Parts: sequence; structure tokens; C-alpha cells
Amino acid sequence: MPVKKKSLQVETGEQVDWAPKAEVKEHVTDIRNLLDRIKAREGVIGYILRASTSATVDIKDPSKIIDYAVLSASALESAESLSEAFKLGAASNIVVEGKGLKILLLTKGEHRISVFMEKNVDHTSIYKELH
Amino acid sequence: MNEEMYATALKTALAEIQNVCPDINQTFVLMDNGTIVSGDGQAIDPHIERAINSVQSLAEKALSVGGLDDLLIDGDEGKVYVSQFNGMYSVMALSKHADLPFLRTVTGIILPTILKVLNGIGSETALPTPLKSAPIVPPTPQFRPTLSEPLAKDEEVEETVEESEEEAEETLPPEPLETREAETEAETEVEPPRERIDLPSQQLIVDKFGGLMVRADNVQIDFEILERWSSLLDVKEIQEVDIETFSGKKTRCKAKVISDQKFEGRGLIRIPEKTCEALGLKRGELIRVKPVLPEER
Repeated sequence: MPVKKKSLQVETGEQVDWAPKAEVKEHVTDIRNLLDRIKAREGVIGYILRASTSATVDIKDPSKIIDYAVLSASALESAESLSEAFKLGAASNIVVEGKGLKILLLTKGEHRISVFMEKNVDHTSIYKELH
Repeated sequence: MNEEMYATALKTALAEIQNVCPDINQTFVLMDNGTIVSGDGQAIDPHIERAINSVQSLAEKALSVGGLDDLLIDGDEGKVYVSQFNGMYSVMALSKHADLPFLRTVTGIILPTILKVLNGIGSETALPTPLKSAPIVPPTPQFRPTLSEPLAKDEEVEETVEESEEEAEETLPPEPLETREAETEAETEVEPPRERIDLPSQQLIVDKFGGLMVRADNVQIDFEILERWSSLLDVKEIQEVDIETFSGKKTRCKAKVISDQKFEGRGLIRIPEKTCEALGLKRGELIRVKPVLPEER
């Protein structure tokens, strides 16, 4: 199965003194490397990594990219709305289970991560690894 | 059994679940017609209402992955657990350390069982409110005597159709008693569709769909239903249908066959979102659909 990796990186250009560009890039690369390792696990379908100005999508089945991106955005929106309504504070993780797959959504710094996996995959170990 | 009774029964069930699981702070059920039932019977805060409605939107998006089963939000000060049962969603606000496996077991048993019992009672009493989970499509026969008559010749069929139409026009106000009886029976009984030679109508469950290339005047219906109508009316194909909501709103749309296999054979009519909005329809509602004869157009 060919793997399509879409990287929609948009560089911000200006950096403040206390956060050198190299460090930020390194941080993103760390998360991406970690996600790549997780994606190699059995049952993990792919991931979406969103930052304020960029997004990286790596899904095994490229035809599903849009569906998954829309679903992930909608899940984040719905979770935000529910967290606010029920005064849950900051949501550490969100798990959406569909008929055939499961999505783990979490926020790490300024990054929003969505990991797509089959339902039998243990999402808690993935969460611990990412958190 | 009407919607109000379902809501009352669900409210009682939610209250009982809350008694069993003290970790639950608030409980709600989002019914398949968009109604929200609160476990404590109190008025629902608009923020909460909006948030719960966002679950419906998420469920629509999740259709691309086979539908939404569960949603768990783990926050710093609590959790929200959303679970699907019989096409509805239970929404529970929980304390931070709630026992989720226990809760899943309790809700997974109690709510579907109650719905099953309600459906059982509903099928025995008059005027059931069909749920999304029961895709049974009762027909609404209009002229009882023609029901059992076989379709012998095409000419006879045409004649009878014309006669029926004339009769219908002449006797429209008041409606014949027999017609009313037949309609009531059709609503109370759950039985497979029967052949008729008058203009058939069918109650179908609304499902919304949208997209960039979707025309607002195109609806999607099961191939079997369209085929049955075309053979019944002896026309090559049914190109248009009349839609009538139970609030009395009507519109005419082009009829297409359901394109997505997973929606086939479930007694659904897939209506574009814009048309649903115009007719004030929500997903899961029941509407009456009639084919349009070519000469009617």
C-alpha cells in the first residue's frame, strides 16, 4: 500500500529571541518522528498533526484524507463545545469511536494531534507515549 | 406510543442510571429527531443544548467512517461520555474518576432494553412513533377493496387508477370512513408493503445529505420502492415524487436511486440539507412520499 504523506508547512518567518527557529522546528520534528513510530504499529491507520500555521497529514489510505480531516476537525469542535458547556476544564484527550475505527485526539503545546486507528488498538498506550 | 411517552420513559431511565452510578453529574438523551431529554427533568441550559446538538453534527461527519458509536472527553475537572444506542445518543457529564466500564455496561443494557420494551408496547397500541432503529415502512393504502385484487391486465390497472383518482377528487371532503380506517390500520400495523393499484404513497424516514454538487430538488429513494411504484403504475420509471411532511408542508422533487449502498433497504429517503431546512425536517422524521405520474407533471 503506497503511503502518501502530505506536508502543508507554512513558515511564519519571524521568530522571537527567546524561541529560536531551530528549536521550534526540532520540536515539531520530534512529534512527527514519534507519530511516525506510532503509525508503524499494527492497526494504526495514520495521523494528522495540526499547528497554528501548518498541518501534516499521514494516512495510509489517501482517499480517506478529507473524510478523516473533516471528522477530526468536527470532533475537536464538538469536544470543545461540550467541555465548555459542562465546565470540564482543558480536555487532555478525546476518544471518538466509530463503527470500524477509533480516533485519539490530544493537544500537545500548540499542536493538535489526531491519531486514527482500528478499534482493537490500545489508545491509552499511544496517549501515554504522546503525552 | 407518542414521542412524549418515549421522552418520559427515557427521563425515568436516566434518573435510575444516575442513582446507580453516583459519578454521573448530568444526563441527557439526544433523540433521533433532535429532541433533547434531560435526566433531571429541568430546563436545559442553551449552552448545553448547543453542545449536545454539536454531537449530531459530529455524527453526520462520522457517517464516512461508519457512524459514531462513542465519544469520550477527558477534561481536567471531569469527563463527558457520549454513547450511541438505537440511533440516539446518551450524553453524560461525569466526575473525573468515574468508573467508565461500569457505566458503559449499565447504559449499554438499560437504555436499549427500555427502548425495546417501549417499541413492543408501541406496536400493540395506536399511533407508534417510529424510531430510526426500526426501519419498517408501513404503506398507507387508500382503497381497501383493491388491496387483494391481483393485477391481471394493464388496461384494467389504468382504468382503476383513473377511477380511483376521480373518486378521490369527488369524495375528498369528507374523507371516506373506509379510507380513514385503512390509514389508521396502516399506521398501527407493522406489515410488509402490499400491492395496490391506486396511487401509492409510502412513509419514509428522512436522512439528510449534502455536498457541493448536490441539487436541492433531488431526493434519493430505494431502488425497490421506485421499481415497485413504476410497475404498479405501469410507467417506465418514476421521475418525480411528492413529499408531504406531517406538518403539512409539500414539495415536489426529482427521484433518484440511493447511491450509497449502506443506506439501501432501510426505508430511508435521503433529502438534501437545503430542502430539509425549507421543509423544517430533521433526520429521523417520518414523511409521506408519493410518486408523480408523468401526466401529472
